[in-house]
Amino acid sequence: MRPRKKGAAQHAIAVGWLVLIVSAALLAPWLPLPFPADSVDLNHIAQPPFLPPSVPDTSRHWLGTDGFGRDVLTALVYGARTALLVSLPAALFATVVGTFLGSAAGFWGNSGLRISIVYWLMGGLLLVGAVEIVSTAPSAWWLLLLSLAAAVIIGKSLMRVPMLRRSWPFPTDRLVLGAASLLSSVPRLVLILALAAVQDASLPGIFLLLTLTHWPEPAHLVRAELLRVRTLPYIESARAIGLSGGQILWRHALPNAWRTARTAFPLSLSALIGLETTLSFLGVGLPPEIPSWGRTLAAARLDPTAWWLALFPALALAATTLALRQLTTNKISA
Amino acid sequence: MGRFLLYRLLRTIPATWAIVSFVFLLSRALPTNDLLGQALSDDSVGNRGLTAAEREAALLRIQERLGLTGPVFYFSCTHSTTGAVWQWHGSDNQYHKWLKKAVKGDLGQSYRSGQPVTAVLGEALRFTLPLTTSAALLATVLSVVLALWLVCGGPAFLLSMLYAIDALPLFVVALGLLLLLANPDILPLFPAYGMGQQTADNAPWHVQISTYLYYSTLPLASLVLVKLPSLVVQLYDALRHELGANYATTARAKGLSAYQVATRHALRNALLPVIALLTDLLPALVAGAVVVEVIFALPGMGRLMAEAAATHDFPVLVGGVLLMAIMRLIGLVVADTLYFLTDPRIRLQA
Repeated sequence: MRPRKKGAAQHAIAVGWLVLIVSAALLAPWLPLPFPADSVDLNHIAQPPFLPPSVPDTSRHWLGTDGFGRDVLTALVYGARTALLVSLPAALFATVVGTFLGSAAGFWGNSGLRISIVYWLMGGLLLVGAVEIVSTAPSAWWLLLLSLAAAVIIGKSLMRVPMLRRSWPFPTDRLVLGAASLLSSVPRLVLILALAAVQDASLPGIFLLLTLTHWPEPAHLVRAELLRVRTLPYIESARAIGLSGGQILWRHALPNAWRTARTAFPLSLSALIGLETTLSFLGVGLPPEIPSWGRTLAAARLDPTAWWLALFPALALAATTLALRQLTTNKISA
Repeated sequence: MGRFLLYRLLRTIPATWAIVSFVFLLSRALPTNDLLGQALSDDSVGNRGLTAAEREAALLRIQERLGLTGPVFYFSCTHSTTGAVWQWHGSDNQYHKWLKKAVKGDLGQSYRSGQPVTAVLGEALRFTLPLTTSAALLATVLSVVLALWLVCGGPAFLLSMLYAIDALPLFVVALGLLLLLANPDILPLFPAYGMGQQTADNAPWHVQISTYLYYSTLPLASLVLVKLPSLVVQLYDALRHELGANYATTARAKGLSAYQVATRHALRNALLPVIALLTDLLPALVAGAVVVEVIFALPGMGRLMAEAAATHDFPVLVGGVLLMAIMRLIGLVVADTLYFLTDPRIRLQA
C-alpha cells in the first residue's frame, strides 16, 4: 500500500508543476508581471534577487535581473512560453510522423506492401509533374490536386489490363531505416547546428528542424512494437476475414502500438526542451530577442557572480524534465 | 571478423556521403552576396577607388579562390518567360569539384580566415580528441566500477543522484560546475578558461601534463557526469538481470562472493547491451564538446563548429560534419569489435 501512495504523491507533484508551467506560459501576457517581456531596466542591472528596488516607486525584481537589466522572473515565464511553443508542437509532430513511418516500416517490412505496376507508373508520373509544377508555377497547387485525382481515376481504369496488375514490393522498412540512419550519421546537435546556419533563425524554422531530426526515435520504438504485434493471432484473423493491409494497420495494429508512442512522448518532450534550451544557450536557431531559459543561462556565463541567473532557470528546467519523466514511469508501471 | 566489419562500414558510408552532400548543397543554395562583399572589402582595404570593371574582376577572383564559380550541381533549372529550362552541366560544377577534392583530402578554404579547412580542423582536433577520448574511457571505466559497486551493495542514493544529474542538459551541468568550482566568490579551484594559452612547448612533460589536467578537469568532469547516468543505469539493470539467472545461482552455491559472481560470471553477459550505448558515446561526446568548449572557452572542434555556424563559414562547417560522421564510423567499428570480443556467438555468425 505504501509505495503506491508515495508514487501517487510524486505523480501529483509532477502534474501540478506541469500545469503551473503550462498555465504560466499560456497566460503570460495577462499575468500581473511588473515588467513587460524583454524590457530593459537600466536602474537595476545585475541586481540580486529579493532585494527592494534602489529607486523608489518602482516594482521589485523578485528574482533579480541580468547584466542587461532584464527581469529574470519575466524571462522565466516567457521562456516557458517559448519552450512550450517550440518543443510541444515539435514533439507532437515528431511523434505523429515517427508513429506513421515506424508503423508502416514495422507492419509491412520490405515485402509486405505490394504496389501494382500501374500505381508505380502513376506515382512516377505524378512526381515528375509535381516537380514541373513547383518549378514553373508554385502558385498552381490546385493543378497538383487535379492531377492526383486524374492519376487515381486513370490508375483504376488501367487496373483492368491483366499485365499491369502485377505488383512489385515497396521497400518500406529499408527506406524508413535508411532515412533514420542518415539522420543519425551525425550527432543531432551538430546536425542542427549545421542546418540552423543555413536558414535564418525563426520559430517555425527551429520547429521544423527539431521535428526533422527527432522523428527517428518514436519511429524506432513503434516499429519494434509493430514487429511484435503483427505476429499476434488477432492480426492473423483480421487477415483471414479479408481486411486490407491498411485497414488492419490503422484500425487494429496501430491502437496497440500507439500506447508505446504515447508513453515515450513525455521523454521526447523533455529531450526537445533540453535541446531547445541548449540551442538558445549557444545562440543558434532562435532569434536573440526571444526569451528562453537557455538565453538566461547564457547571461550567467557572462557574469559568474550572478548565481541567480543560473540557479532559477536550471531549477525550472530540471523540475520540468523530472516531472515529465515521472509521468512516463507512472504510465509504465500502471 | 574482417568481413563483418567491412559489411557494417559499407552500409554506413553511403549515409555519411549523403548527409555531407546534403549540407554542402544546402550551404551553396544560400545567396553569397554578403560573403563576397565581405571578402572584397577584406581584399581591397588599401585601394579605395575601384572601377566597376575592377570590382567585377576582383569578385570573380575571390569566387574562383573559394570555389564558388560555375553551377552548383550536375543539373539546374532556370526560370524564364517561356517556363522552366532544365540544363545539364556535366562534371564542371561546384559539387563535383568539391567531392573530387574532398576524396583527396582537400576540403577547401575557410571563408573567414582563408586557411585550408583541414589545417583548421586538425588544429581544433588537437584539443578535442584527447578530451573526448579520455572522457569516453573514463565514463566507461567509471560506469563499470559504479555499477559493480551498486550491485555488491553500494548506497542506493547514488542511483537517485545519477537520475537527478540525468535530468539536466549538459550545458547546465557544465555551467553549474563552472559557477561552483571556478568562481572567485565560491571555490576558485579551477580556471574558468585559458586552455592552450599558457602551455609552453619547452616545459618539462610533468608540468605540461599537470597544466593540461588543471585546465581540462572541469570540461572532462562535465562530459563524464552527463554520460555516466545512462551507462550506469543500463549496466546496473543488466547486471541485476544476469544475477537472477541460474548460472549466477550456481556460482553463488559454489561459494563465490557477490563480487566474484558479478565480475567473473555476470559482467561479461551484462556488457552486451551497454556496448550498443558505447557506439554512440564517441559522437555524442564530440557533440557534447560543442557545448563544453563554448562554456570553458577551449579552442577545440566544438567551438569551431559553433562559430562556423554562427558566421556562415560553410567550408569549415561541412568539413566538421564530415569529421563527425567519420568519428561515428570509428565508434561503430570499435563497438563491433567489442561485441566480437565479448560474445563468441557473434563470432560464429560473422
